[in-house]
Amino acid sequence: MTLVVGVGLSIAFLLFIAFLNVVKSGNILSEANLLYAALVFYAGAGALYLGFGVTGTESYIKFASLATWAGLVANTGAVAHRWYEAGHPPFASLYEMLLSFVWTLAALTLIAEKKYGVKVIGTVTMPVAIVGVVLMQLLRSEVRPLVPALQSTWLHVHVTLAMLAYAACALSFALAMMFLIQDKIRTETFLAATSIFTVGVYAAILGRFERWGGLNVVAWDAENKTEMFISRGVRLFVTIPDLGWLMLLVFAAVAAPLVLYILSITRKNGSFLSIANRAVFISILLQSLALVFFLLRTRNGQYPSLDAEGLYPTSLAASPFILSALVGGIFANLLYLLLLWRRSDLERLLPDADNLDRITYKTICIAFPLLTLMIAAGAYWANRAWGSYWSWDPKETWAAITWLVYAGYLHMRITRGWRGRRAAYFAILGFAVVMFTFFGVTYLLPGLHAYA
Amino acid sequence: MALSLRTAPRKIWQTLSSIKTGVVLIILVVIFSAAGTVILQRPATDPDDMARAYSPAMLRFLDVTGLTDVFHTRWFVALMVLVSLSIIAASVERFPNAWRFFARPYKSPDEGFRRVLPTQAHISITDEEQGLGAAERAFRHMHYKSERIVRTDSFSLFSERARISEMAVYIVHASLLLIFLGGIVDALYGWRGFMMLSPGSSSNQIEVKDGTVRTLPFSIRCDGTGEETYTDGTPKKWWSKLAVVDEGRELSSKEIVVNDPLVHNGVRFYQASYGRTGKLDRLTLAATPAEGTKGTAQEISLAPNQIVSLDPDTKVQMAEFIPDFTVQDGHVYARSNDVVNPAVHMIVTSVKANKVVNYWLPEIPGVNENASSPYTFIPKDLKTGVFTGLEVSHEPGQWSVWAGVILMAIGLTFVFYVVHMRFWVVPVRDARGNLSLWVGGAANRNRDAFEQTFKQFVEQIQKELKPQTAAAADKAPAIADTTVAGR
Repeated sequence: MTLVVGVGLSIAFLLFIAFLNVVKSGNILSEANLLYAALVFYAGAGALYLGFGVTGTESYIKFASLATWAGLVANTGAVAHRWYEAGHPPFASLYEMLLSFVWTLAALTLIAEKKYGVKVIGTVTMPVAIVGVVLMQLLRSEVRPLVPALQSTWLHVHVTLAMLAYAACALSFALAMMFLIQDKIRTETFLAATSIFTVGVYAAILGRFERWGGLNVVAWDAENKTEMFISRGVRLFVTIPDLGWLMLLVFAAVAAPLVLYILSITRKNGSFLSIANRAVFISILLQSLALVFFLLRTRNGQYPSLDAEGLYPTSLAASPFILSALVGGIFANLLYLLLLWRRSDLERLLPDADNLDRITYKTICIAFPLLTLMIAAGAYWANRAWGSYWSWDPKETWAAITWLVYAGYLHMRITRGWRGRRAAYFAILGFAVVMFTFFGVTYLLPGLHAYA
Repeated sequence: MALSLRTAPRKIWQTLSSIKTGVVLIILVVIFSAAGTVILQRPATDPDDMARAYSPAMLRFLDVTGLTDVFHTRWFVALMVLVSLSIIAASVERFPNAWRFFARPYKSPDEGFRRVLPTQAHISITDEEQGLGAAERAFRHMHYKSERIVRTDSFSLFSERARISEMAVYIVHASLLLIFLGGIVDALYGWRGFMMLSPGSSSNQIEVKDGTVRTLPFSIRCDGTGEETYTDGTPKKWWSKLAVVDEGRELSSKEIVVNDPLVHNGVRFYQASYGRTGKLDRLTLAATPAEGTKGTAQEISLAPNQIVSLDPDTKVQMAEFIPDFTVQDGHVYARSNDVVNPAVHMIVTSVKANKVVNYWLPEIPGVNENASSPYTFIPKDLKTGVFTGLEVSHEPGQWSVWAGVILMAIGLTFVFYVVHMRFWVVPVRDARGNLSLWVGGAANRNRDAFEQTFKQFVEQIQKELKPQTAAAADKAPAIADTTVAGR
């Protein structure tokens, strides 16, 4: 009951903010408002799915589904509005790509629910959609005209295929996870996996740890809405003091469950696991704290830089990677808690393992041709724009690696009869490579593809 | 032809054509490709950046092993060749069987086959003709073509769809080989380079990516080039009017933009960039005589190295034009070639007074001598040279690549979405002499969907049987006997 009240109040609050936005902008159906509405509905759906996790009330799932529908309608409105305003389909900037991706994710969630009967897939896809929409709120969203290289129909074809392919891969990842649940993988194994993932996330964030306890982030030029550069290709970093220590603390907190898990194995003592689960709960609170501090510190304040004199501002928009990592870590841990508390309910609601195995395979059978066509369209576009259909640019190379990994999955399945767990792990590996291709290449490696 | 199974060639062939080899090779390609994205690669990276990123010892190691240009080293090419060979070997090894299966459809199932086929059903019938007739009608109803197969004393029915699906996987692998072939041809015979043209100039020289210069049998003349920008300055369109000239004759001309190249004799010219050469075309100045000197105010126009007389006594010459200046230690340096912060250095000579004045615009403290110049100058207009940057490429292998891509699209469609389905209907008599219709089905993929289709087919046969048997004495068809077994 309290949950319903809580969710209801939150939605009321969000609707109030939306109302203020409408009043401020004087336009109900602006793109920002439609997007905001989509966020509200997706957040509602996500909350209801997680609410099911806490209380086990099945009707929440039905409402969550309805909320997803509503969100999709609003999202479609936002996409249409954007398309109309920009004069081209929404593919020209990270903002627009996120818009398309979130739309595809919601659409595929509903298809999976209706066609495959996997009713709780929203628990995984809705949080991702929420992260996407939140990220969008922070990015520069003006309609940017296209630079010459992007003015091509093949661009639209290539990006559409990419969005569809990556959404299908995301779906196969969710289904593979559900298969592992139904295949009776022990909850502790999920604990270890979630913990390793979160540890990895914070280790990556701590790569920016600065010796005296600060965290380095990219400086942001609020006027031009762009990152600040010292010289061509070299970004200006500022150090937010003390944030490094906080991240270190949270790193310890998220490492604790992993350590306890290892102890429970080496000491063969199961009681470590219950402590580990409590540690997960505490780490979620600390991760949320880290997120809040990060949000507050990046939004206000000027910070010193090691590379230049003076104080410079930063912004959330300058650190989308860190933000998504923080939010992603929290959601992964929440999903683990959902599994921990509601495993038997989930096992009842999900299709059986064999079916999930088959559905995962079918989803990859959809994703693979899409990946192939995406690479082909990209090669053709590159040929027309830059005179070479393949230049071993990091994004191209990693797209090819992704293709090879999924080709490996299909080979192993079709010719070697790999089913069940091995196939599921392969599918999860495939999605990890997809994520690296999409995020890692843009933020960690240089190249021609740097704009998306 | 007693080839021992253990001879070396045989063993090599078997290793090469095994799936395990294929997977190992794929993993190797993945590892080295990934390395090529994480390790800085020449020639794309500045040598300075490379020296900054790696210690000299590490850089030497990376260069020697080829890791700084992974995708062009011999061992990576050898790896790709091995992958192609493995695909060929695997296909050749398995193709004969597949072809036998494809070319000789199994139309009349024998008893052993009928016993073990997973998807089958038995329908009780009273009369062979009637049963087979019902089956034929059922086939027609589901839009399948069926043929009668003559057996010793009766006939059976056979129907199949999309037998090509059995070849689909070979189509996909063949397409992959076509793509590799294209890549190899381009690696050996293709080249890419750069050509910079200013309006009015023409050239037949290409700076190839590997550093050499290639001469084309024809020239490209630039008749004009330009840039359109959006209001915030980001480029909207770069265009060039190009003409192909061969031995003085203009063969073709085209205005190219990004994404729309000029093609001539397999050589493609792409609009890649546009810029200012940083060299001055012409500078227009207003010259005013300083206090106390004779002379008239006038407007002059200076080109590099041109001497202009302001009056019988005074001459001015442009010595330097710096498009983007910066001052360090009392010296003026050029920071870049972009016209961002221009400075011009003029030398004003007064013959009679034998005075030479270094005049700088803008005034640069410590360097300029503007105060002692007989004339002061105010800049009016600046025209810098422009160039159009053309990427030039010759990639003869790309047709093989596109053909491979199209073939792969077709192949994948067949692999995933076109199912080879077969149905057999055979009248059989069991040990007790009861006549029934054995119905069997097989599909090469999507078996769960096929089970549904098979069930529908069986039900359709039963429906077709009903009117006949209803006519006979109220004997309902023995559906109880129907077993539908499937995996």
